[in-house]
Amino acid sequence: MIDVDGLTKYYGSIAAIDGVSFHVGKGEIMGFLGPNGAGKSTTMRVLTGFAPASKGSAKVDGYEVHEQPIEVKRRVGYLPENVPLYEEMVVRAFLSYVAEVKGIGRSKRRAEVDRVMEHCGLTAMGNRIIGHLSKGYRQRVGLAQALVGNPPVLVLDEPTVGLDPRQIIEIRNMIRELGREHTVLLSTHILPEVSMVCDRVIIINQGRIAAEDTMENLTRAGSRTLEEVFMEVVAKDQVLVDAAALGEPAA
Amino acid sequence: MKNTWAICKREFLSFFTTPIGYVVVGVFALISGLAFVLSLMTYSKMSIEPAAYGYTSVPSFGETFLSPYLVFNGILIMFLSPLMTMRLLAEERHRGTIELLLTYPLRDREIIFGKYLAAVGMLLVMMCVIAVHLTVVGRFAPLEPAVLVFGVLTVVLMGMAFLAMGLFVSSVTRSQITSGTLTFGVNLVMYVVGNIGEKLPSKNPTPEAWPETVRNALGGTYALFRGLVMELPLDKHAKDMALGVVAPKDVGYYLLFTAFFLFLTFRALESRHWRGKS
Repeated sequence: MIDVDGLTKYYGSIAAIDGVSFHVGKGEIMGFLGPNGAGKSTTMRVLTGFAPASKGSAKVDGYEVHEQPIEVKRRVGYLPENVPLYEEMVVRAFLSYVAEVKGIGRSKRRAEVDRVMEHCGLTAMGNRIIGHLSKGYRQRVGLAQALVGNPPVLVLDEPTVGLDPRQIIEIRNMIRELGREHTVLLSTHILPEVSMVCDRVIIINQGRIAAEDTMENLTRAGSRTLEEVFMEVVAKDQVLVDAAALGEPAA
Repeated sequence: MKNTWAICKREFLSFFTTPIGYVVVGVFALISGLAFVLSLMTYSKMSIEPAAYGYTSVPSFGETFLSPYLVFNGILIMFLSPLMTMRLLAEERHRGTIELLLTYPLRDREIIFGKYLAAVGMLLVMMCVIAVHLTVVGRFAPLEPAVLVFGVLTVVLMGMAFLAMGLFVSSVTRSQITSGTLTFGVNLVMYVVGNIGEKLPSKNPTPEAWPETVRNALGGTYALFRGLVMELPLDKHAKDMALGVVAPKDVGYYLLFTAFFLFLTFRALESRHWRGKS
């Protein structure tokens, strides 16, 4: 469903991501794991057509992001980091607007908005102003706008940041449920989250993929915790990065 | 087309779900109302006693009252336009909602025209205020329909030009304050630049000792520059049109001005594809 090949993105002379390649199959929940500043958000921004790539290609359902942006955007629901929303709007009006720009006809719009509001537990919040909502509900509104139009691919950038433990569990359950029908790419720097929710994991460090495997293989069927794997992979990768920086051949 | 309408509707309604719409229309109604009453009072004094004001007969209603009043409204819109346009794109960028906007299946033109039309919608709300004034005065003095139609059209055209410029500035800024201040500054420069143009000497400024060809070339360039500066002020082209005297060059000026800045807005929004950030 998602095919990323040799994706590179420079900010000035600094490479935020450098030759990232991966594949996410239909109906898979892929965890995107890495320390802060590793390039998770940048990859997602390129994939959703928000930022252009410097090199490489990203395809969703066979459509290249840069060449057929509209086709890609129709198929992707995106929850950006920090959940930007129109603060002054009420929840229902906002979701109805999203449905409209996603091309859902007037007759079906109301039903669609009701569906996503129910799915995200927002039914009672329809007439609240978004700016007055708590962090947890804002997150749900963000998730709801991504779900409008029922896109086959969901790209969620740190969906559980800043939530309390109960809300985190709720959102995780929601994502796991979404994974039954959607292809989900989920970024996080919380390790247990990945082990609870995802089928496969990509560990990214300093803009490069350090490891990619199923949860089973990475943790050697449970004999290691994901923390150990993560620290080991990042440390090993760091040696390579440092060596490359010094101009020495990588050991 | 549908998407343009969706953007426009959201943008227009958010003028009125925040105080900004009420403030802009309120201030416009207040000042334009004051101007209307004061200039009408002056005009009625003039028509009772033309001699005291240096007129031999009753001065023309259109020329002494209607046209200056309409041009004044245009200038008033110039002062208020930054408040309408500063948020259009700068706020999206500041709040991060641009990340949503640009990842929805929308084309650039739908975003830009939607936002522009919302601002033009605000302009039409303001025109309702003018319409009230003109209806009141129309009950006492017969207004020529042509004067009325083209007078209001003038103000709308002027306003559209200011809004297009404001939209462009908003598209290249991140903070609403920068956007508003810059728009205001450019508006003012456009307004006073005419005075500079009038001060520029009309004859060739190059020294006579220079060779003929160089003088001619420089003089020609200078004359072109001077002509441009003198034609640039946004209110200059409104005076005649507000009287119902419509010259294609005046209408063309406003339309080209608007089109030029909308074009720049397109380029600015599109630049995210090659600048690497937005």
